[in-house]
Amino acid sequence: LTPRVIAVCGKGGVGKTTVSAITSHELFRRKDRRALIIDADPAGGLQMALHFPEGTSINQVRVETINEIKKKNRDKKDLARGIDYMLARALIEKGHLAFLSLGRPEEVGCYCSVNTLLQEAIEELSGKFDLTLIDAEAGIEQVNRNVMKAVDYLLLVADTSAKAVKVAETIRRLHLRAPEKERPDCSSIGLIRGRRLRGSKGGRTLTSLAGSLRMRPSESSTAKTFPSSTCPPVRRRKR
Amino acid sequence: MGLFDGPVREIENFVAGKCESAGCRKLPIRHYRGWPSQDNLILEEETAIELGNPKEGSLALLAWAEEKFEEDSVVLIGPDLAEIGKRTAPFAQIVLVSGSFDEGYHCFCELRDAVYDARLKGMMFRVMPSRQMIWTRINQEALDHGLSLGHLGSALIEALSEVPNVSGVRVVFVTSGEHDLTKLSAPAARIERIVGAMMKMTEEMRYDCDGCEYRDVCSEVAELKKIRNRLKEEKET
Repeated sequence: LTPRVIAVCGKGGVGKTTVSAITSHELFRRKDRRALIIDADPAGGLQMALHFPEGTSINQVRVETINEIKKKNRDKKDLARGIDYMLARALIEKGHLAFLSLGRPEEVGCYCSVNTLLQEAIEELSGKFDLTLIDAEAGIEQVNRNVMKAVDYLLLVADTSAKAVKVAETIRRLHLRAPEKERPDCSSIGLIRGRRLRGSKGGRTLTSLAGSLRMRPSESSTAKTFPSSTCPPVRRRKR
Repeated sequence: MGLFDGPVREIENFVAGKCESAGCRKLPIRHYRGWPSQDNLILEEETAIELGNPKEGSLALLAWAEEKFEEDSVVLIGPDLAEIGKRTAPFAQIVLVSGSFDEGYHCFCELRDAVYDARLKGMMFRVMPSRQMIWTRINQEALDHGLSLGHLGSALIEALSEVPNVSGVRVVFVTSGEHDLTKLSAPAARIERIVGAMMKMTEEMRYDCDGCEYRDVCSEVAELKKIRNRLKEEKET
């Protein structure tokens, strides 16, 4: 099955944004499906990598909505329409790709209803695209906080360091251990391992690998896909 | 006196003035029935025409009138979709409903949902009722198949006819330019204040008028006072 929502996760600095950027570029080149790209990393690296101009972030939409509530009373439907409007305004479009950035969190107090409405609006928006690619925040936080509930393909990225492998393994375990209803609806988990960006011998470069992803599980030696129920642990390769 | 009588009269005067100077036309509703309904995502590259883009002028108004309209109607001030001749244009969608709406804000919400939940194939809508803004995109395919603002007006009338107590609908679209939208800013501001006051008294359930930001509009519009007194009575019993 072709995945519809892919999240690229892993430790910081292992190449998640590079993989996301290359995949986005490939999607742009192919022009065969409408894709929503979400930069969920507050550092905003993907936006820079794709040369998208700075626009309104999801967090800014959140703040704007909260300020709106503070100014006037708003019922839920009215708020939901407003969030849809602001998200549409925040989309940066390039051909058949649309880009949304999470942005930096801004403390304006706890507004759970706004967060829920926002999450629902993003999920609804994502549902209108053929594919959604999420460049996740480094580490395990977003997986832990159940941010990526609708993800159906978890793409783990790790380099050869023990720490990166451990983070990838932790994400995999967190995913499998989560209660069924809270678990991302992943049909499979993929792993891209190693950083052979320059003249790799026998291995594939990240660029060629991203080209071969085709939004389908790859059988290459550096990218493996496992059904999530039988997903084997991520281990360091013995030299 | 009806709740929105003041701004509705201003809007009707504006439309009458436009029609006198041959600046408007009535679209035959029957001719435009039956366009399929569909929730669309239309990206910029698929957009043939964009109306009310946040960077352009945009206005979405909804109000009711006590007087019974003789017939449902769709009036267009400015060019229709096929005649616009450019990619973006300012846009106003004004929906006036006749009928009996005693329950104030509850009735307004019902009407609002009917208006803003209407969908047409090949047309994408984004609305922000709190800021009276509407933004639509129309794709090339819909334009090639003859989509007109008449179809939208007809769909709005159909959706509103299912709301209880609605006896007639007048839809006015303005595509003539920013200058005409500016002429509607006064009634728009009054409608916003009336709806705001109605919403506040319904949601907050506090009836202390001292220091309330809507005190002026409540003193002016008798119908708002009636709603307030009724809600207060309901609360006390």
